[in-house]
Amino acid sequence: MLEVANLRKVYGPDPHAAPAVADLTFTVADREFVCILGSSGCGKTTMLRCLSGLIPSTSGHISLRGKPVTGPPDDMAFVFQDYSRSLLPWMTVRRNVAFPLRYKGVDRREAEALTDEALDAVGLAGRGDRYPWQLSGGMQQRVAIARALAYRPSILLMDEPFASVDAQTRSGLEDLLLGVWERYGITVLFVTHDIDEAVYLADRVLVLRPPANVGHEVTVNLPRGRDQVETKAHPEFGRLRGELFAALDGGPVAA
Amino acid sequence: MSAVTRAPRKGTGRRALGLLLELALPAALLIGYGLWSHRAQSFYFPPLGEILEYFGELWLFDRVGSDLVPSLLRMLAGYAVSVVLGVALGLLLGMSRLLRTAAEPVVEFLRALPAPALIPFALLMFGAGDGSKVFVIVLGALWPILLNTIDGVRGVDTQQLDMARSYRIPLAARIAHIILPGASPRIFAGMRTSLAIAIILMVVSEMVASSNGLGYFVLEQQRSFAIPEMWTGIILLGVLGYVLNWLFLRVERRVLAWHRGARGLSAETATPAPSTPSSTEKTDA
Amino acid sequence: MSLEGVQTVGSARRRTARTADGLPEGRVRRALGSRRIRDLGLKVTGVLTVLVALELCARLGVLSRDWFPPMTDTYVELAKLAFGHPLWTEIGRTLSGWALGIGLAALLAIPIGVLLGSNRTAYRLSRVVIEFCRPVPSVALIPLAVLVYGVGLEMKVFLIVFVTFWPILLQVIYGVQDVDPLVYDTARSYGLPPRARFFRITLPSAAPYIATGLRIASAIALVLAVTAELVVGAPGLGQSIVVAQSNANLPRMYALIIVTGLVGWALNTAFQAIERRLLRWHPSQRAEVAS
Repeated sequence: MLEVANLRKVYGPDPHAAPAVADLTFTVADREFVCILGSSGCGKTTMLRCLSGLIPSTSGHISLRGKPVTGPPDDMAFVFQDYSRSLLPWMTVRRNVAFPLRYKGVDRREAEALTDEALDAVGLAGRGDRYPWQLSGGMQQRVAIARALAYRPSILLMDEPFASVDAQTRSGLEDLLLGVWERYGITVLFVTHDIDEAVYLADRVLVLRPPANVGHEVTVNLPRGRDQVETKAHPEFGRLRGELFAALDGGPVAA
Repeated sequence: MSAVTRAPRKGTGRRALGLLLELALPAALLIGYGLWSHRAQSFYFPPLGEILEYFGELWLFDRVGSDLVPSLLRMLAGYAVSVVLGVALGLLLGMSRLLRTAAEPVVEFLRALPAPALIPFALLMFGAGDGSKVFVIVLGALWPILLNTIDGVRGVDTQQLDMARSYRIPLAARIAHIILPGASPRIFAGMRTSLAIAIILMVVSEMVASSNGLGYFVLEQQRSFAIPEMWTGIILLGVLGYVLNWLFLRVERRVLAWHRGARGLSAETATPAPSTPSSTEKTDA
Repeated sequence: MSLEGVQTVGSARRRTARTADGLPEGRVRRALGSRRIRDLGLKVTGVLTVLVALELCARLGVLSRDWFPPMTDTYVELAKLAFGHPLWTEIGRTLSGWALGIGLAALLAIPIGVLLGSNRTAYRLSRVVIEFCRPVPSVALIPLAVLVYGVGLEMKVFLIVFVTFWPILLQVIYGVQDVDPLVYDTARSYGLPPRARFFRITLPSAAPYIATGLRIASAIALVLAVTAELVVGAPGLGQSIVVAQSNANLPRMYALIIVTGLVGWALNTAFQAIERRLLRWHPSQRAEVAS
């Protein structure tokens, strides 16, 4: 379980300056898929960087499975928005995926097996010897997901991972993500600015308002085994989308 | 350069024509010189045939061991020290803002100091042997590598570094697998500049207080008015510079294959990064 | 300058990024101001550390007295030289060769570079010659230059012109080829005559590249001037270093080496400043400011 309590982040030395994240509190249960929805500039990225231990928070408390987060935790993996900048262009796809495993204390044999399995799970089994830049954008993001999966995290943080791919590729990647989420039984915290994407993927959607606190929360009761056509045609989908749209736009919505 | 010369690939005939075009001027220059020098009978500019005759006599392989090899060894030793020192210091200064700021004035001064001015100092410190020559080469060739490494290290993608930290990759591995490869295009740019400087300083240092080497040879021949012999040395140095540069480019192409690939492919989709003149080259001697 | 200078673009981006995170403008400026003072302190500390270390090495005998007098002696000599006219004469001699050399090289290289940069056939014709001449170690020509021109100013100028011609030429070619074809086509469609196209578009676009070429050429020219003075005894700073050394006047030798470094540093700084000014309009700068 990921617990965030009264998280506050202020950049610079002055603690009274305008905060990028203020008084943020929420929890994510094990194996839950939570989407964080917010317009650009509302502190989503700052929040994720605090949660992942990449930057220290100014005050507040973050804990993962009961342990306080002070640096990057060993059972957390991060998928960045800009895949072309988080994959290493001088390594093949296989080496990119296997790279973090070497320093996790996984022996060579097992690392090979984990890499194979992860590449297989994202449908890139035959592409291991390519270089990332020889693949399309969608495939590159699948490599980044494979790298995260091979690391065997208990929680996956994703920062607008599908924001820079085209719509067609995007729905494919969404379904792929739901598939591996179910298969690996991991917790996912997924940041996006796209309402449809949030409703389609999540068990729960948290709406973030600047400076990054939870302005609204919605539980998504759509059945699992979601389908791009059926789920999106569901009347509940339309209702949730409307509610979230209103919540993003401003005033609190009576739920 | 390559971006400009990429000829449209339309059949071999066209390419042959292009090659002919490129070789026309060099051929014309050579023939022109041959005709002129034959007619003019200038003392300083002997005919090409005569120079080549001497060239064969001297450099196949009479003086290879006595002059060419010592020169090359000094140059390579100086160059190797420059590369190791430049990359190591560049990593340190590139990663630490504090050290970089503190070292800046000293580095700026030393890099602006023309290396040959240190020859008298080197002679005092190391004597007239190889040590002083290697020292002078290092003091000239170090800077482009150092400065380009600093720039390269600072230019490493922050997201790659975040990625590495989020996967808890230890510092040594981050340096070896992310920072150094990420900086390598810049490091190679610096090394290319430094190679030319190392050759120049090899020649200069051998022209002062030396008893062998190519620089010594050329100057000695001039002093004894052995003009065709002097020309053979100049030509050999030209060929040497050209060959070493060519070898370097081949190594660079191999090592940075990923870089060309990544840049070439992304250039089609993304807007090409404008190459700022000040950041593309740091060619100060 | 340029340890930080080259990356000013990058640090500007970081600064803007931070302002976007919600820091008020004034606080950023104040933070930067105090940072500048701290940086200055660091730089002074860096220089002092080196100077004190050198002094200690000389006094404690780590570096032999025979060839390394205490730095204080050198400073005294430096002050003496600075107030006597021979030093300035020597600097003048070195710099006149330097200035004539790159001046002539620029006069030759800029028109040829514009021609080769704008004409494909001319470029391909000369490519092999350029590629061959560029990596040739220039100093190999010193003996030839001495033969033809003697040991005076002419020899120095010839060497400098021959060597600095190439970097300037290459930068001009890059610069002219880098002119945005869209801008050029627009100008043509508006009926701008060739002359105006050249002065209004090609030349301003290529200016930063030319400045870079000149900066590179300046450093090389100084090296060559000093080398020519040192190796064959043309009058100037290089020769006076050798004279001081052969008279066993070591403080003077070190003082002159320091002066040579300062001259190089001053030239570098000046050219970098010009280059940065000319670069202000460049798309790379604009893009960074906008992000």
